[in-house]
Amino acid sequence: MSVLVLSPWNGRISMRLHRHALVVAALLLVALIGVSVASLMSGSYPLSLLGVWSTLAGNPPEEIARTVVWEFRFPRTVVSAIAGALFGLSGAILQYVTRNPLADPSLVGVSQGAGLAVVSAIVLFPEMNLFWRPLLAFAGALAVAALIQSIAMQRTGGATMRFILTGIGVAAFIAAITNAMLTYGDIDQAHAALGWLAGSIHAVGRPEVWSLTLCLAILTPGLIWSARYLSALRLGPEVSIGLGVPIRSARIGMITLSVALAAFAVAAVGPLGFVGLVAPHLARRLAHSGVGQHLLLTALTGALMVGLADFVGRIAFAPVQIPAGILTAILGVPVFLLLILKTQSTRQL
Amino acid sequence: MTKAGWFSLPVLLGGLVLAFGWHIAVGAKTVPLHVVLEALVAYDQSNFDHVVVTDLRLPRAFYAVLVGAALAVAGALMQGVTRNPLAEPGVLGLLTGASLVVVMAVGYFRLVDPAFIPFLAALGATVTAALVWGIAAAAPGGSTPLTLVLAGAAITGFLAAFISLAHLLDQESFDRLRVWLTGTLAGRSTDVLIWALPWLIGGLVLALLLAPQVTALAMGDETAVGLGVDVARVKLLAMLSVISLTAAAVAIAGPMAFVGLVIPHVARILVGADYRAIVPVSAVLGAVYLLVVDIAARMVLAPIEVSTGIVTALLGAPFFVWLVRARL
Repeated sequence: MSVLVLSPWNGRISMRLHRHALVVAALLLVALIGVSVASLMSGSYPLSLLGVWSTLAGNPPEEIARTVVWEFRFPRTVVSAIAGALFGLSGAILQYVTRNPLADPSLVGVSQGAGLAVVSAIVLFPEMNLFWRPLLAFAGALAVAALIQSIAMQRTGGATMRFILTGIGVAAFIAAITNAMLTYGDIDQAHAALGWLAGSIHAVGRPEVWSLTLCLAILTPGLIWSARYLSALRLGPEVSIGLGVPIRSARIGMITLSVALAAFAVAAVGPLGFVGLVAPHLARRLAHSGVGQHLLLTALTGALMVGLADFVGRIAFAPVQIPAGILTAILGVPVFLLLILKTQSTRQL
Repeated sequence: MTKAGWFSLPVLLGGLVLAFGWHIAVGAKTVPLHVVLEALVAYDQSNFDHVVVTDLRLPRAFYAVLVGAALAVAGALMQGVTRNPLAEPGVLGLLTGASLVVVMAVGYFRLVDPAFIPFLAALGATVTAALVWGIAAAAPGGSTPLTLVLAGAAITGFLAAFISLAHLLDQESFDRLRVWLTGTLAGRSTDVLIWALPWLIGGLVLALLLAPQVTALAMGDETAVGLGVDVARVKLLAMLSVISLTAAAVAIAGPMAFVGLVIPHVARILVGADYRAIVPVSAVLGAVYLLVVDIAARMVLAPIEVSTGIVTALLGAPFFVWLVRARL
């Protein structure tokens, strides 16, 4: 395998890049752009490729094209791509840290925690500013992650199997509270919350674009910094200690980062299932690489998955819109089952 | 039956009568117990309280008893046969599978005749059970509690996505099923009950007949073979009983999660490991449990009524987490 070694700034930073992975990343990016453009073109007001281009460039063929593209389709396309990337990264980090191939924010209740926090806010304080939503989601998700960790850790140092099973139980509990909240709430608010819970991207607008872009901008340095810890943590606690990684704080930091990524994505588009589970595995199948590049590939795969799910859900049964969350679940579960069947580690769990 | 079993059954039956009376008495309008008795013994059509008791409260209490008993016995059999403390119709996806088939048939093929509902639910439960067990058995390491629960959770997510999809594509016909899908005892018609009853009774009788062999199976397949049990046959019959009980429960009340998980464990604490005692005790305990849960569902947020299935999940999920901690 060909490896590219870069050491700019007198070797203060050095990177080993797998050429094959770079090619795959480029292809994924092209595919993502393709899906995005297709998504911008199609809908109840179809636009040609040229029409999309000139609208984006600033001189739309008709005035309505500007509204359709900039107010509706563009935010939706961007948000689905970024949210997909965040979910994928969150799942990948969780899988590295827990060393469990089946870890996924939506399976272990982290997404549901974020969901409950947001639904409570929608039902109890309907006038609340959208600005608080991501922070609330983060708080809810963090609380659930801490709860699962503390329950699962108390005996024999948090075996991975107990972590997942505990997560499934906690997820069921939180889903029940969310359901009760929906019954309790006013019917209009409950309806708004319900659409959001199904993982629907159709209601997003400019604010979500800005908040997600901001999240990505804030969390990316953390991710780049974290890659080195992840590559040690995935080898197990003994090796990590040997390599001089402060595993306790590294683990807590990584899980917090993973929870933050999932929570911000949930705040924007609702709890999309199985993206965090599937994207890292797909990325690994597509190209063999180090942790840093794997994270890049995972982000692109996740973005492509959710972008595609949103596009298909919007077009397939038009005028009915299928929430992206339903499609990611239908696509994700077979992959999940394949993983259960193939993973040798279920025996070790 | 063991001594503990003989002692606990009368106590439990007494508890059942009490819970039944309490269930009928409370609600939006509290009916005094002596009026409840009057309504049952000397029914007076002009008395509003009597009408409430016989037309609304009494059927609902019966549904609670039947569904609670069915789900608890189904859970007990599943736990015994698979030797998996986490086995339960809800956790392993059977309830969701049964619901999906009912939703599809009612929504798309207009099979609204109540006679079909238990058949459809049984069909869904059978296919889901086969899927979940097939996947768990094919996984490396065989059907451990982990692989079974994971396969169950995955299949549940998958089928639930299809239920949402069906709901979105045809809002009108599915809106009627929406409350049913959260597991409810409110406003069910007696027609469904009549058609579900044979399934329920058949499943219960089969469970009681199988109880001695299940006790042997719970000690391990080899032990059971040594004791002269036809393992494959007992497993098949037990599954048949589970599916028929699940189908009856889903037809009456929709998917009511975690009832089958909690009750058999409590029964085991009370009467030990003998399924000849566990099965009847689970049935009575399940009935009492669902009566009390349904009272809570009606009272806690009154005047708003929470779906009974939501309350069973709220109580059952922490129990599941506790089981994971304590038993695995």
